Amino acid sequence: MKRRIIGLLGLALSASLIASACGSDSSSSTDTAASTDTLAIPGTDSGAPTPGGTIHILSQLEQITHLDPQRNYTGSDLAFVGSTMQRALTSYAYAPGSDGSQLVGDLATDTGTPTEGGKVWSFTLRGGATYEDGSEVTCADIAYGTSRVFATDIIVDGPTYAISYLDIPQDADGNSNYPGPYTATADQQALFDKAVSCSEDGKTITFTLSRIVADFNYTVTLLAFSPVPKAKDTGEKYDMAPVSSGPYKIESYEPGKSLVLVRNENWSKASDPIRNAYADSFVYEFALDPAVIDERLMADAGDDQYAVGDGGLQPENLQTVFTDDRFKDRRQDDYDPYVSFTAFNVKTVSCVEVRRAVYLGLDREALRTAGGGPYTGDFADGFVKPALADDYAPSKLPEGLNTDGTPNVEAAKASLEEAKTKCPDVYAKATVEGLKFFHPDTPIWQKLVSIWIESLKAAGIVIKPTAVEPSKYYPTVQNEETDYDISRGTWGPDWPNASTMIPELFLTTGGFNLTRNGDDPAYKQFETDTKAALNELDRKAQGKKWQALNQFLVDQLWSIPGTFTKAQDLWGSKVGNAYRWSSSGSFLFGELFVKQ
Amino acid sequence: MSTTEATVMAPEVFAVVESKSPGRLAWERFRRDRVAVTASFVVFFFVCIALFAPLVCRALGINPLTLDRKALNDFGLPNGPFGAISRKHLLGVEPGTGRDILARLIYGARISLLVGFVSTLLTTVIGVVLGIVAGYRRGKIDALISRFSDLTLAFPSLLLIIALTRPFTQRLESLGVPEGNPARLTYIVLVLSLFGWVYVARIVRGQTLALREREFIEAARASGAGHWHMVFKELLPNIWAPIIVIVSLSLPGYVAVESTLSFLGVGLLPPDASWGVMLGDSVKYYRADPAYLFIPGIALIVLVLAFNIMGDGLRDALDPKSDRQQLG
Amino acid sequence: MTTFIARRLLFALVLLAAVSLFTYLLFALLPTDPAALTCGKNCKPELIEANRVRLGYDKPIYEQYAQFVKGIFAGRTYGTGDIAFTCPAPSLGYSFNQHECVSTLIGKTFPVTAFLSLGAFILWMLLGVGTGTLAALHRGKWQDRLTSVITSIGVSLPTFYVGLLVLFSVVIWLQWLPFPHYASPTENLHDFFTAMILPWITLAVLSAASYTRITRNGVLEAMNEDFVRFGVAKGLKNRTVIRKYVLRAALIPIVTIAGLDFAALLGGAIVTESVFSLPGMGRLAIRSVTDSDLPVLVGTTLVAAVFIVLANTIVDIIYGILDPRVRLK
Repeated sequence: MKRRIIGLLGLALSASLIASACGSDSSSSTDTAASTDTLAIPGTDSGAPTPGGTIHILSQLEQITHLDPQRNYTGSDLAFVGSTMQRALTSYAYAPGSDGSQLVGDLATDTGTPTEGGKVWSFTLRGGATYEDGSEVTCADIAYGTSRVFATDIIVDGPTYAISYLDIPQDADGNSNYPGPYTATADQQALFDKAVSCSEDGKTITFTLSRIVADFNYTVTLLAFSPVPKAKDTGEKYDMAPVSSGPYKIESYEPGKSLVLVRNENWSKASDPIRNAYADSFVYEFALDPAVIDERLMADAGDDQYAVGDGGLQPENLQTVFTDDRFKDRRQDDYDPYVSFTAFNVKTVSCVEVRRAVYLGLDREALRTAGGGPYTGDFADGFVKPALADDYAPSKLPEGLNTDGTPNVEAAKASLEEAKTKCPDVYAKATVEGLKFFHPDTPIWQKLVSIWIESLKAAGIVIKPTAVEPSKYYPTVQNEETDYDISRGTWGPDWPNASTMIPELFLTTGGFNLTRNGDDPAYKQFETDTKAALNELDRKAQGKKWQALNQFLVDQLWSIPGTFTKAQDLWGSKVGNAYRWSSSGSFLFGELFVKQ
Repeated sequence: MSTTEATVMAPEVFAVVESKSPGRLAWERFRRDRVAVTASFVVFFFVCIALFAPLVCRALGINPLTLDRKALNDFGLPNGPFGAISRKHLLGVEPGTGRDILARLIYGARISLLVGFVSTLLTTVIGVVLGIVAGYRRGKIDALISRFSDLTLAFPSLLLIIALTRPFTQRLESLGVPEGNPARLTYIVLVLSLFGWVYVARIVRGQTLALREREFIEAARASGAGHWHMVFKELLPNIWAPIIVIVSLSLPGYVAVESTLSFLGVGLLPPDASWGVMLGDSVKYYRADPAYLFIPGIALIVLVLAFNIMGDGLRDALDPKSDRQQLG
Repeated sequence: MTTFIARRLLFALVLLAAVSLFTYLLFALLPTDPAALTCGKNCKPELIEANRVRLGYDKPIYEQYAQFVKGIFAGRTYGTGDIAFTCPAPSLGYSFNQHECVSTLIGKTFPVTAFLSLGAFILWMLLGVGTGTLAALHRGKWQDRLTSVITSIGVSLPTFYVGLLVLFSVVIWLQWLPFPHYASPTENLHDFFTAMILPWITLAVLSAASYTRITRNGVLEAMNEDFVRFGVAKGLKNRTVIRKYVLRAALIPIVTIAGLDFAALLGGAIVTESVFSLPGMGRLAIRSVTDSDLPVLVGTTLVAAVFIVLANTIVDIIYGILDPRVRLK
């Protein structure tokens, strides 16, 4: 799952969502306790749910990034599509709070059976599930859906765990020998069919993996493992009109305007123990200015009483919403799955003293205030959120770092002084030439960058900002050719295991490594330890290894930890079940209901 | 108005024999328009503030970049009524950073007026020259200029400006324009001028065409006046009025375009301020911090109003016919 | 007159050809690789190359342009075999981002922009010419000063600022209107008007400002003309003089600018459409910029150009009617 970078706060222009991670963090007790407003989770105490009515979802986006299940990889979209139209083998429970991180069967009767120590996984199908045309969801459809992931020329943007996990030979470059169902020869197709097979009676699907993946049953919550009926597959265009296996189907879809879902009469509750499908229809309204969305939700007039937003509240409205009791039953403020951070290009900023000086001298408190103060989140002490209870341990931060986030100019200068003798080149770069800071060109970043420049000036560090078009930010900084010294990112776990955080962020093969740390003297050690942690089968012992690695990362400072982020929402007064689903960090849209 | 009777009776042709030049007469007429004179003082005041921004800010003890966390509350909003207006921050502080709004307004005037003035100057000069040449020479040159202006006009300008910002700014930087805002501002000014001259040229050409047919031009031509004389002494003085109207409209227009570009994410880069950036930022805070919403807006309106009134006054003063009888 | 019109139309065609070539080259030479943008971040070089061939970006630029032009008249088919698809004539290309032929996308969004522009245009002409005449007739008096103040506000504040404030005050605070949800007039007339009224007013008020001032100036000029003074001397009523002579003379520069402005609006009222969430061509265009969706960008630019050229041609013809001298070469 990814997190959005919203382009221009003022306008619903650039709505591209790009890489962050797929989060399914279990909201642990630390989270809820620290949150002021969610002790009694609002939105849940609204009486018995009642069927009927229309829920409106107000969005800044031009369209749902991907309706195609195999291409869907954004937290909010996964929650929306998964709870309304696409079923998967397993799912997180549809429940608020930490119950929402419980794994349950969806198309499968249970959460799967591992054999060979977790190298082979089989799932027994519940049966009785149907598509919107009334035809049955078969085991073959799930296998076919999964096979689409391999057609990387057409099925783009989705998670690629199927490619990396399934036991299908790869060439030296890591490309699979199976090119996906559209162009595969019979031999190539046989490779896939061997790895993903259906039993004779079509009741059991078996995945053979190339290595042990102890939590593969979490992987298949991703809609990339959802069924697609082969006869209805339209390739690229499937994204605009996928076939529904859930309680709703598309009535009309006009990007830039709206998506209307109505009940899928062929969905039967008997086959689906997790979805309740209270509302009769959903209207997703696109391309709204975020300020307008907030205003409409505050005004709570007409149909907006049945509305929720899909992007959270804007920082400038937090004071209004959280200091006015009018909103007290329809607002929430709590942690989402993400961690924000600032990444150095370790090739150019190869000196840990300079990196530490930046960390010490940066006015993190001012940065947090600009984003909405404590509502931005807590200062992170590493790259693993406390919500990953097994993998988190408080880390020891650099000497002299002010815990309240204010800059320690003296300590920064001292660290810089060390760098002067140890690595004069980098010292000169940081103090004279300037460190190139690449940031998304959004209004909020205009302010944040100003704070970066101004606060580091006091420590004698020069920042040279480069604004990048928001929708191209991650492609730009992930491009090896881009010559930044500093970039920033946000990432969350794909499921509750730091195995989807630390390796992704810091291994050179990771999906979101912005640090270019491959040549750093400490890298070999890190790589060895990480591989060891990945192959550790005992979950507790694995957690200990992640904790040690987290401390290692805080010492190396290839990236500076930012905040354990929080998000805030407001919703219409007649919306029920408006809680933050811990696995996606968004509403569980399909479960929303209209209060009578 | 008896003093100008002679001019009215025999415009321009005999102006040379008048004891007072037309410019002098215009100046005297302008001086009598008290509202216009006040307006010009306002414009002058803004221009001075912009020119001497660093001095003014030092005198006031403020800085457009200094952060002030203490002026903000926990939500990052100004800590106090009316955008935290205080003795320290006379117009309050910017939400999020606590930077002084007055200082940003003063420094912002610099950039906004620079963009406005330079773009206006370029478009006007190019437009007037090409417009007069086209209207006066007619024939092939006119055809060439007109077709070129048709081609320029055919492009949806705002869209192109936005689409080309990044690549062309990079091109400018590689050509040696300093990185960051100098390059962006150069691009904005150049591209606004590229699209803007056509409007001026069209109107000037039309006016010139109409003037050609007039008796006094015929007379001047008959008396053997050269091209230079025709253009500078006969044509230009008679098309000042529409030119001034265009200028007084386009200057604020360019300031507004600069702010729209900032709003669309291709304007000024941080940490610098312009009125456009402030306007774009402030609109989000209309509920949380209304004082911030109105301050840059009001500053802009006052400047533009002053500019327009001054333009009207100048127009009236320069138009030799403006004192003739009025209808109604 | 007929030859004059014919000449103008012929020239318009030549101009369009030039614009299309220029637009195509301009965007084709930008440092973005359209093929690289067709697949996501897991993209492998061979896929990019495959898509390059499929979309014809592997050919030299002049050949691409020739294909593009051919597509406008004959339609165009991309790729071969199972995954081939055709954009029928007039094909302006295919958007990989939106999985649609560019012509389909423009066909869907253009009516919105056309309705928006037309309504705003009528309103602002009435408003601009009306207040401008009023100001001129009362030159120096309070009516004149008041319009000066109002037009200063109109001409100085950017559309996004005024638009958002109008939206917030009318819809959110006063709740005089429901939140605008655009519907086509054939589909739901009520929704159409409630969605359009605020954008119309916003655009009209902001654009009318320039017209007020240009009209004021034009009327003042015209009133000093000999033929007007002659009319007054002849004993014609003021109202007749204004209508028959003054406005007619003052209209000439207004027609020039109005044609251009209207056409520019048709090319996409980018900001207005964004503020009021109208699914028009301006938003399609700006989205193509942020997505680097080159085919859509080229397509919208071209369609906008068509309307600008068309409007210009019409203006020239009207000009010829208003002012016979123009016709005589």
